[in-house]
Amino acid sequence: MLKDKGQVTFEDKWPAMRPIVLKLLKQETVTQTEWQDLFGSVHSVCLWDERGPYKLRDALQQDIMMYIKQAQNRVLAQREDQALLKAYIAEWGKFFTQCNYLPTPFRQLENSINNVSKVSSSNTSSTQKKNNNNNIEDSLVRKLMLDSWNQSIFMDIKQRLQDSAMKLVQAERNGESFDSQLVIGVRESYVNLCSNSVDKLQIYRENFEAAYMQATEEFYKLKASEQLLANGVQSYMKYADQRLKEEEARAHRYLEPGSGSVAALTQCCEKVLIGEHLPTLLAESAPLIKAGETEKLQLMFRLLDRVPEGVTPILRDLEAHIVSAGLADMVASADIITSDSEKYVERLLDLFKRFSSLAKDAFLDDPRFLTARDKAYKCVVNDTTVFKLELPSSALIRGSKGTAPESKCPELLANYCDMLLRKTPLSKRLTSEQIESRLRDVLLVLKYIENKDVFMRYHKAHLTRRLILDSSADSEKEEDMVEWLREVGMPADYVNKLARMFQDIKVSEDLNTQFRTDTTRHDAINIKILNAGAWARGSERVTVSLPLELEDYIPEVEEFYKKKHSGRKLQWYHHMSNGTITFANSVGRFDLDVTTFQMAVLFAWNQRPMEKISYENLRLATELPDPELRRTLWSLVAFPKLKRQLLCHEPVVQNPKDFTENTTFWVNQEFALVKNGKPQRRGKINLIGRLQLSTERSQIEDNHSIVQLRILRTQEAIIKILKMRKRITNTALQSELVEILKNMFLPSKKMIKEQLEWLIEHKYMRRDDEDINTFIYMA
Amino acid sequence: MSGEDCDAFDRGDNDGQKPDKMFTLKKWNAVAMWSWDVECDTCAICRVQVMDACLRCQGESKKDSYGKQDCVVVWGECNHSFHFCCMSLWVKQNNRCPLCQQEWSIQRMGK
Repeated sequence: MLKDKGQVTFEDKWPAMRPIVLKLLKQETVTQTEWQDLFGSVHSVCLWDERGPYKLRDALQQDIMMYIKQAQNRVLAQREDQALLKAYIAEWGKFFTQCNYLPTPFRQLENSINNVSKVSSSNTSSTQKKNNNNNIEDSLVRKLMLDSWNQSIFMDIKQRLQDSAMKLVQAERNGESFDSQLVIGVRESYVNLCSNSVDKLQIYRENFEAAYMQATEEFYKLKASEQLLANGVQSYMKYADQRLKEEEARAHRYLEPGSGSVAALTQCCEKVLIGEHLPTLLAESAPLIKAGETEKLQLMFRLLDRVPEGVTPILRDLEAHIVSAGLADMVASADIITSDSEKYVERLLDLFKRFSSLAKDAFLDDPRFLTARDKAYKCVVNDTTVFKLELPSSALIRGSKGTAPESKCPELLANYCDMLLRKTPLSKRLTSEQIESRLRDVLLVLKYIENKDVFMRYHKAHLTRRLILDSSADSEKEEDMVEWLREVGMPADYVNKLARMFQDIKVSEDLNTQFRTDTTRHDAINIKILNAGAWARGSERVTVSLPLELEDYIPEVEEFYKKKHSGRKLQWYHHMSNGTITFANSVGRFDLDVTTFQMAVLFAWNQRPMEKISYENLRLATELPDPELRRTLWSLVAFPKLKRQLLCHEPVVQNPKDFTENTTFWVNQEFALVKNGKPQRRGKINLIGRLQLSTERSQIEDNHSIVQLRILRTQEAIIKILKMRKRITNTALQSELVEILKNMFLPSKKMIKEQLEWLIEHKYMRRDDEDINTFIYMA
Repeated sequence: MSGEDCDAFDRGDNDGQKPDKMFTLKKWNAVAMWSWDVECDTCAICRVQVMDACLRCQGESKKDSYGKQDCVVVWGECNHSFHFCCMSLWVKQNNRCPLCQQEWSIQRMGK
């Protein structure tokens, strides 16, 4: 078409262009004019010569190929690995730089070729277009250059290159140093050579990365076994740890960043260094845990956590260790801890701290290890080998047999709690902060107790005693404790009941003040009139014939109360009431804090101070039931803290059960409080001991009531779940049940089964006809 | 053993009050429990023990001071007793005792 005037052909222009192109390829200096001329020439050839662009491209290719051939000769002339790499990298470096310059003048060429090929709808061209034409990376000439390099020189020597590079890396692993730039250079050439626009790293990954990985794996396969055999597991772990760090750093240096190679390599190393030796390494974990080698364990944890399933066996080892060490500790000191709740709780806390610090120092408080610790500690806390609380099993009530032993821990924990909250030598010794932190410790252990209902019962009994005897060390702390119990998730109805007791005692205090101002002469009496619902539901009263001095007050109090309230009835709880009496004998005068029962017994002597009174007569005088009278008398003839007892008896027995009807008792006229070996003329002693809240019989009933309550709670929870779910499988039901009840107690499988049967029998629910393990709610 | 001292004992020290007693009362802390004087422990309307607040009050009082004594008991002429809260809701619909169907009239209120 355009074959006439002014037209420029490729053949005209090329002779002038070629030297410039060659200069560029060889990285020789090109003047600014030459550089600009090249642009001009490309432009005119493309514009005027129809076949120009193709001819231009072919010519360019020829020259590039020629240049590459020369470069190849230069590189291959090197025989030695390092020199070969060096030469290659130098050549490649030059060439690659050129890849960024040479394409620029030929941009016009690309546009022309692309426009044509666009008509013939070539896929590559359209992608290229999309990928932004001006981008050098996608440039046609650049691609031409890289492809040529790839096909000619690279294909020929890539194996040699790779091998040389790997040899260098290997040498570095063995401690020799070399110019790391050599390996990096090879890698860069692999990365940059790729002209596949979808996967730019293809060549790199298939060759360099694969070779690197393989070499690494082979190297460590050999080394790991060697090290393990020669130096044992512990030093091997150090070796592996160090090597992993080294390899990671090396990978960062030699592998392409951002390609995922580093991660892949690390994984590979982990597999060879750890994964393949897992059983050998793990065999060491239990002994290390036992020895408390936190540093080594930390190392082991760090290593094994890198491989899948590496940590699970350590978790098991830790759990087993805690259980066995904890129980061994308990069994070893069984003598002390069964009798002393302070020692026991301190022991438990000590164990907890020990295990926690192990989990912290060795396993950095990793949540998985904390769970293992909790699980194992729970076993220790709830263990029944050292001592147990015998509860009648639910079966006993419903007619079959068997007992379910439970840990005594909740009882002892409640006792310890009482020692902290009551005025005791312990609570006096401690500062307020210390008491608080110990109460927090109690709550911590409480968290692990399965049968919290037992704790609750004992705690409530202790609180009752403290409130009735006014023996709280700090009433603020008492109420704080109630809130803390609420915070740790104790059941609301239980906590509310405790709170209600505080409320009630305040109401009663107000009433007492009124009583004392209304009737002025009664400064010898304090009254506590409490809400039976909050304090004493179901507990049984004990009859006693009160001394006249006390009896006189009763009608007056009742009269007063009737004026204040209506519709209420009063029941006297003399087993809870108490007082102070003065005892005078030849030695001196003593104030005695006593229970009302003790008072009733002692006042029997007021009419006949020097007489010996038989058991039978005391029984007639006091009207106390046999067990209570025995217990009361025993507290007066054998009070543990006293050197000289208040009462003497004959014949002497070692056990209150051995009192007979004819055993006689008399007041010890030599009674005195002894201090530093000298009898005192004045003094005060508390003979109340632990205030009895219930009789022996009602204690058994109490245990029954715990079981009974558990049964009701279980039934209640089952119905609650079924109401919501309508139908549910046995396993799902069991787990939901535990979830609901766990703040009170852990329902045994047996009890759940019994209650399910009972509910089915009573038509609250039924089994599915098709699936015996599915339950259906029946409204 | 100083048997002859027995007569003299205590007299010198005592202020003259009850001089002849070996044990004298100084203080008595008497404990009693009160409960509503009812025939049936459970409120037939809400099925909660009358000594506890009724269900409604338990729900409401959860947030403010628990254990308030406001939920009292009421006796009808028929001598049946219920939570006052429960009964006052009940009579709005049906002015009869839920247990004996007698016309409801209040005999007395707990205080």
